[in-house]
Amino acid sequence: MKRTLVFFFSISILSVLSISTALAQVQTRVRIIEASNVGSNIDSSLRDVTGQIGSLFSFSSYRLLKEETVSLQKDLPVSIAVHPGRSLELTLIKQHRKGAEVRVKIKREGSDILNTQVRLTPGRTVSIGGPKHREGTILITLALL
Amino acid sequence: MKRECFSVSGLLNKYFDQEVTPEERSLVEDHLPDCPVCRSALQSMEDLRILIKSPVEEAVEKETFPWVWEKIERGIQREGRPGLWESLMSRLDVTPFLKKKIMIPVAAVAVALILMMVPILYEKITSYPIPSVVEYVESETYNVMIYQLENQKGTVIWLFNGPEEEVSPS
Repeated sequence: MKRTLVFFFSISILSVLSISTALAQVQTRVRIIEASNVGSNIDSSLRDVTGQIGSLFSFSSYRLLKEETVSLQKDLPVSIAVHPGRSLELTLIKQHRKGAEVRVKIKREGSDILNTQVRLTPGRTVSIGGPKHREGTILITLALL
Repeated sequence: MKRECFSVSGLLNKYFDQEVTPEERSLVEDHLPDCPVCRSALQSMEDLRILIKSPVEEAVEKETFPWVWEKIERGIQREGRPGLWESLMSRLDVTPFLKKKIMIPVAAVAVALILMMVPILYEKITSYPIPSVVEYVESETYNVMIYQLENQKGTVIWLFNGPEEEVSPS
């Protein structure tokens, strides 16, 4: 009887731990885009982005520079190079049933030029833009997978 | 009244109720033929008994007390019928599940499920309404503006007036 109890207790603990670990990871899609008024080329994979922010900005060209899916774990920063000298750092702060709170830092040569915390929810995109890149502007989109 | 009458008169009630001993009965019955006072007392008791007995017997004969029987029958039925819980348990026949062999694993699984549900419920309680997308934002080198898109599917954080050239929305 003791063995049975120990077995089921272990199974229960393992189940809880595995579920907690699975819940603690957040898959986030990061896209780094160059938006400019040079030309009128819009990458086909960026139709959703232009559909959302096209009415807000008057850029004629959207070019995908990088796309990554990052797995965020609580309090573990993940760094993505945006372009030489600039990087994006994402840290999962809190996970909710309907989303996650993520700290986003944009760094230039090691120092923060932006520090924000956003709530990502499925079906919603958070875009961060503004810093200049060549003849256009960098636009970073974050979305939960 | 004779002296003997004092001792017999004390026995008259018992004699009338047939509660005397054989010796007392002999004493009373030997005395009664010679004592009109005691005979009269005994007769009065008999008259009173008849007076009370007749109407009671008449009433009992007339009345069948149906409500009494109904009440008794209901009581018998209530005692015989099992309770709701007993009836449900007997229909479901859950006795095999109450055995330790099954009960302990079931309890362990139930505990595991509860433990799994706790974080989900907790998250549900602490979940925020969707609109607050940006918790905070700060930048030492740029001015920051936040745009909430009309379709509620996106939020834009725009940096402008930075150390490099300005890129402003249209």
